[in-house]
Amino acid sequence: MRVLKIIPERCTGCMRCELACSYEQTGTFQPSKAVIRVSSFEGHTSYAPYTCPQCAEAWCLTACPVEAIGISPAGAKEVMDDICVGCKLCTIACPYGTVFYDPDSHKAFKCDLCGGKPACATVCPTQAILYVEAGTEDWLGSFAAERALPGALAGVR
Amino acid sequence: MADTPYAYAGRILRVDLSTGRIWADPFPGADRRRWIGGAGLGAKILWEEVPAHAGWDHPDNRLVLATGPLAGLPVWGTGGLTVVTRGALTNGATSTQANGFFGANLKFCGYDAIVFQGQSPKWVYLHVTDDKVELRDASSLLGKDTWETQQALEAELRLTGHRLSVYSIGPAGEKLARFAAIQGDYGHVASKNGCGAVMGKKRVKAVAIERGAKGVAAAHPHALLATSEEMAHSLKTDPSTSSLYQYGTLPGVRNLHGMGALPIRNYTTNVWPEGVDVKLWEAKSLREGFDHRGHQCSACGMHHCHMQVIRSGPHKGELVDEPEYEGWAGAGWAIGATDPQQVSWLNTRLDRACLDVNEFGWLCGWVMECQQKGYITDKDLGFRLEWGDVEGAGRLIQMICRREGMGDLLAEGVKIASEKIGGKAAECAIYTMKGESPRGHDHRSRWEEMLDTCTASSGTIDSGPAVFPTEFGLPARISPQDPVAVARQVGTLRGRRHFEDSLGACIFTTRVPIDLLCRSLAAATGWDFRRDEAIRAGRRAVTLMRAFNLRCGIGPGIEKPSKRYGSTPVDGPIAGVSIMDQWEKLLDTWYETTGYDRASGRPLPETLRALGLEDVIEPLWGAGARA
Amino acid sequence: MAAKRHVIVGGGTAGWNAITAIREADKGASEITLVADEAPYARMVLPYYLGRQIGETHVLTAGPQRLAALKVTTRLGRRAARVDAAGGKLILDNGDEVPYDDLLIATGSSAVRPPVPGADGAGVHSFWTLPQARAVSGGIQPGARVAMIGAGFIAFTILNALVARGARLTVLEIAPRILPRMVDDAAARIVQAWLEERGVAVRPGVQVTAIEDAGGAKRVRLKAGAPVEADLVIMATGIRPNLEWLKGSGVEVKAGIVVDARMRSSVPNIYAAGDVAEGPDRVTGAKAVHAIEPTAVQHGRVAGANMAGREVAYPGSLLMNIVDVLDLEIASFGAWDDAKAEAFEDLLPGRPSYRKLLFRGGRLVGAILLGRTREIWATNDVGMLKGLVYTGKDLSAWKARLKARPQDIRLAYLATGTAKELLPQTLLGGPSVPERDVTVNA
Repeated sequence: MRVLKIIPERCTGCMRCELACSYEQTGTFQPSKAVIRVSSFEGHTSYAPYTCPQCAEAWCLTACPVEAIGISPAGAKEVMDDICVGCKLCTIACPYGTVFYDPDSHKAFKCDLCGGKPACATVCPTQAILYVEAGTEDWLGSFAAERALPGALAGVR
Repeated sequence: MADTPYAYAGRILRVDLSTGRIWADPFPGADRRRWIGGAGLGAKILWEEVPAHAGWDHPDNRLVLATGPLAGLPVWGTGGLTVVTRGALTNGATSTQANGFFGANLKFCGYDAIVFQGQSPKWVYLHVTDDKVELRDASSLLGKDTWETQQALEAELRLTGHRLSVYSIGPAGEKLARFAAIQGDYGHVASKNGCGAVMGKKRVKAVAIERGAKGVAAAHPHALLATSEEMAHSLKTDPSTSSLYQYGTLPGVRNLHGMGALPIRNYTTNVWPEGVDVKLWEAKSLREGFDHRGHQCSACGMHHCHMQVIRSGPHKGELVDEPEYEGWAGAGWAIGATDPQQVSWLNTRLDRACLDVNEFGWLCGWVMECQQKGYITDKDLGFRLEWGDVEGAGRLIQMICRREGMGDLLAEGVKIASEKIGGKAAECAIYTMKGESPRGHDHRSRWEEMLDTCTASSGTIDSGPAVFPTEFGLPARISPQDPVAVARQVGTLRGRRHFEDSLGACIFTTRVPIDLLCRSLAAATGWDFRRDEAIRAGRRAVTLMRAFNLRCGIGPGIEKPSKRYGSTPVDGPIAGVSIMDQWEKLLDTWYETTGYDRASGRPLPETLRALGLEDVIEPLWGAGARA
Repeated sequence: MAAKRHVIVGGGTAGWNAITAIREADKGASEITLVADEAPYARMVLPYYLGRQIGETHVLTAGPQRLAALKVTTRLGRRAARVDAAGGKLILDNGDEVPYDDLLIATGSSAVRPPVPGADGAGVHSFWTLPQARAVSGGIQPGARVAMIGAGFIAFTILNALVARGARLTVLEIAPRILPRMVDDAAARIVQAWLEERGVAVRPGVQVTAIEDAGGAKRVRLKAGAPVEADLVIMATGIRPNLEWLKGSGVEVKAGIVVDARMRSSVPNIYAAGDVAEGPDRVTGAKAVHAIEPTAVQHGRVAGANMAGREVAYPGSLLMNIVDVLDLEIASFGAWDDAKAEAFEDLLPGRPSYRKLLFRGGRLVGAILLGRTREIWATNDVGMLKGLVYTGKDLSAWKARLKARPQDIRLAYLATGTAKELLPQTLLGGPSVPERDVTVNA
């Protein structure tokens, strides 16, 4: 299947992915509702987006007591709002931290790959987010390990 | 909600520092369309709320931090804010922009602008979230530079990255240096006309804005996404902006030098000093001469803002922000410093201490020249400051921030300092007679900008460099020393920049055809919005700032450069060409083009009427003039 | 060869997940008999039924059609009375015998009430089963005074619903603090203040001595202090696994039915899952009863897969809870009350925001997170906290940083490659979606 491949070295922290994602999710530009989230590393000198890896285990799906999470044709684990009761079990079942609770709608929400045309990948001005045929991976691990601490840039204290 | 405006939060956050009262005023639909936001909204508030007697340091002065309708939307470079206040250098209107994430985060908290009034009895910072706004004790932040302040607030509020935007003043603003700036999000500076001194006088150390949970709706979101891609495409591919897209303002050094517009050693020469490695100053070298990483503003794809690490010299290993052209000029060429590694260090010292890099360049260059010529002795200054001495310039920053020794005088800016010292020293200082700092070029070969700076009503340039001038019936290129062509261009383009600066967008990413910009605003707001309305809105804002200045007694008599600023270059491409010979002609043409009265400086009643500023006619022209 | 006969006792989360796991594996080849007193339903969502956000059908996990589609024979309305392990048969409460090749015990828990006079009287309710939920729901009128005895997780799951239904609530707790088995003192204080600010009376450290009738209402008498008058009393005083019926079966029972990593009891063809099972704890490695929904899901899936002939080892369950009370999110993970752990506490002044990280050496063994649900940049860290406790990642290099900046948990998670470790881990290779594959006439 196609996955969101993240190339963190290309991210400049403009957060445009969050805007586009939230628009797809809610119809307004509202990063609090984005399911892709950009973290800052080494103080403010490196950034990377992070979102649901659409893991094989589907922790969220299996945890749901009312089967409100299904698998979409694009292969995304997708929350069905009319079934979700907002019990939050999926938010603690998911060990990736990519299922969220919406305090306004009282529902869970997560990346649904925008039905196969992910907005984050479309709008990223530096092509740090690609939607490609690949196996899902931990795209950020080695980048984050290298850059997690402030001043990691060029070995600065 | 009765009024859920597209592209706006629809609310203005008001903070009375004297009483501690915090409230929200509506930003109603008619006002939104009339003033747009940013500079327009700020001009309205200045005009309506700041009386003539309330100088820059008076509690009744307002400090407006305004964003605009595009902030928080996916248009490139839309995290910005425009600071509008009565500034400390001119004691007149100020409109100065910075970017980062402030504007976007503010909209997500549910506000289009913050307006400070009064004066706090103790040092505070303003903490803004989407459901709570409070003034908090800032005593632990005092003395911290702007980056340290942001780090401390990130720690205090338990937030990381762009989840928190902090705009603050540094030690310079705390000590009311008249060219103190407001800096935010590690490297974005609203630098002009001493807005940081105003913030310092109000005892506001910082404004910390969380990335709120609210949303910004667009009237036609698909069209907005499409126009934002069109804008991006234009920025990437148009010959006037493609290098800006790739390198930001880095190419400026080489380009301006070729025109004789690089300000070298306080305007004493227009020729590279001997032994300078010219290659180091190519845009590509400036970028690749450092370990750098992108550090963009909200939604921006320009390869413009970066963080970088100094590779060599005494500050090897230090993290700095990549200087703008203005930084390379003000912290470099103007003071004779020619090692980019060193200059980038000094530039960030200025951002962190929070002083305007342009004014610092003119001030420091002037001190250096005065030292060389013996007008300021080592004893006066406390040490010897030679051309290009970056460490010494760093020491000067410290003296200014602490108002130590001669630093106390220097903190007043180069105009006041040079007038105080007087004599021949006064003749080598670069400033305008109104007091604003020219930007970091040699305007003796860029007449448009000297005219613009001297006639400006916003504490810096009003019209700015020409962007797609043919859209306004102007020639694509003019002779930079043709007074009529220059003044017509500056006068005709008047308004475009303040329209841009009302949008909550960066003045670089708005360098696209105006019709495209209008379509973007139309998609965001749902308005049928065309270029005529855009220019009228921008002119309304800047004309109101002019009216404000006139009310404050700032008139046309001081619309001219200082002696050195208007002097004749002695070498370089335009050696011997004098702008002052053409000054009256420049002004005549400019006044004719703008519809302002040449003698009194007042916008003519018909000009005011055409801009929908009928209410301003009587205050400026007296009763009876209105009819 | 005759089709294998699986018998599932209990139609709750564990039993239902076992059924889907079996069907995912065998495509309908075996016989499954479900013995349960009601049709399968999701106990976890009863609070939303009480709050009238959902109707009763939403609570049901599977109706007759779906059970038939999955080729499940049902014995609904019946309870298991005893097991004849030697004879391989289950004896129901009406004497019927159900023979099995393997048996899953997933009988869950029941609410318990303390031995207090009047605790069994009219107007005194438990809230655990669907019938109990119906009874409570029928008894609430707007403005009704409700006395909630017990301030544990179960009580807290229905606070929102009761407030939404217009009840005036008093919460009584015998322990010195509320949520005594979910959060620490500091968190409990914040939660109590939060509830009180929103009009809920909270009285920890009180002992109920009697529940009396009081002119059509109820009066809850306390050992000390004024009694509480209420129109409705809810006893949320704990649950106990339903194990009595196993006496004499030969199945080893401690706190629960002791199971191995494949969820087998001491009797090899008898499995146990959910609240009744004492299985491996992910953090400590010891055996423990984790009477929580996520453990029931995983127990059921592992048991089902093993019953269907797969060899699946369970890596252990993680104790975790999350509840939202009046828009305050409360979550805890793992060994959140480990007194010997090194604990970093972070309480934000002026905000109901609290975070506690507990370390054993470099490993995060437990965590508590508290914050307003709208403060998403903080509360959204729950998943990553889970991932870190679950994987037991070595955070030695991060401890000092996390002590100073607990908000950097995201960076610690990303930089230690937690996702990389998790991605290959699956219980059964993926979720069970058996409808896709089951052939009814197999």
